Amino acid sequence: MSNLHTLSKAPSFSLLDTCLSIIQAGDAVLFIEDGVYHCQQSTELLGNSEVKFYCLREDLIARGLIVRNLDVIATVNTQGFVDLCVQHDGIVNWF
Amino acid sequence: MSEINSSKTVSIISRQAPYGSNRAQQSLDIALAAAVFEQTVNYIFMGDGVYQLLGNQNATSIQSKTLVNALETLDLYGIESIFVDSQSLRERNLIPKDLSLKASIVSRDEIAIIVRASNSVFNL
Repeated sequence: MSNLHTLSKAPSFSLLDTCLSIIQAGDAVLFIEDGVYHCQQSTELLGNSEVKFYCLREDLIARGLIVRNLDVIATVNTQGFVDLCVQHDGIVNWF
Repeated sequence: MSEINSSKTVSIISRQAPYGSNRAQQSLDIALAAAVFEQTVNYIFMGDGVYQLLGNQNATSIQSKTLVNALETLDLYGIESIFVDSQSLRERNLIPKDLSLKASIVSRDEIAIIVRASNSVFNL
């Protein structure tokens, strides 16, 4: 059973630490809405190589971050969001 | 009835990122309304509120209005006292050059002085 974790709040809400503390190998984290601000400060969180990180492209564009996104986080569009939902068995929302 | 001078100093502390909630938009609405009624307005960006000022925003991708364009109307309403908390910028790996609006970068001590000198403070 793999899960897609969507995270929709800025880093100041400190949700990511809690999310990563219960995450399993093979899970993925998708930053959406204000969650995309995580792409600004990501180097230490990417240490967990068993988890893939994604950012929703539309939300990066809206917030002026598309030019600032670090190469280490993949971006997906809304279609990619749907694909991720289908690829995983379940979805966990962090908000 | 005698006319009284009812002009007061109103400070608005905007602490939320744009688009995730409507608080950023509401802060702006309060500021513009206060300016229309000829109050003195201080506009302070703190915490995640500093994200409102990033350049290259384009909210048409999420079917919203681009907030930073609306913030540019502050100047048209005569609101020139715009402050940004330097510590909040630092915590978010941002530098003054990233901001697309003319604003004074200030310390927490300076914000404390502004708040103390205000007749009312809207904090959202």
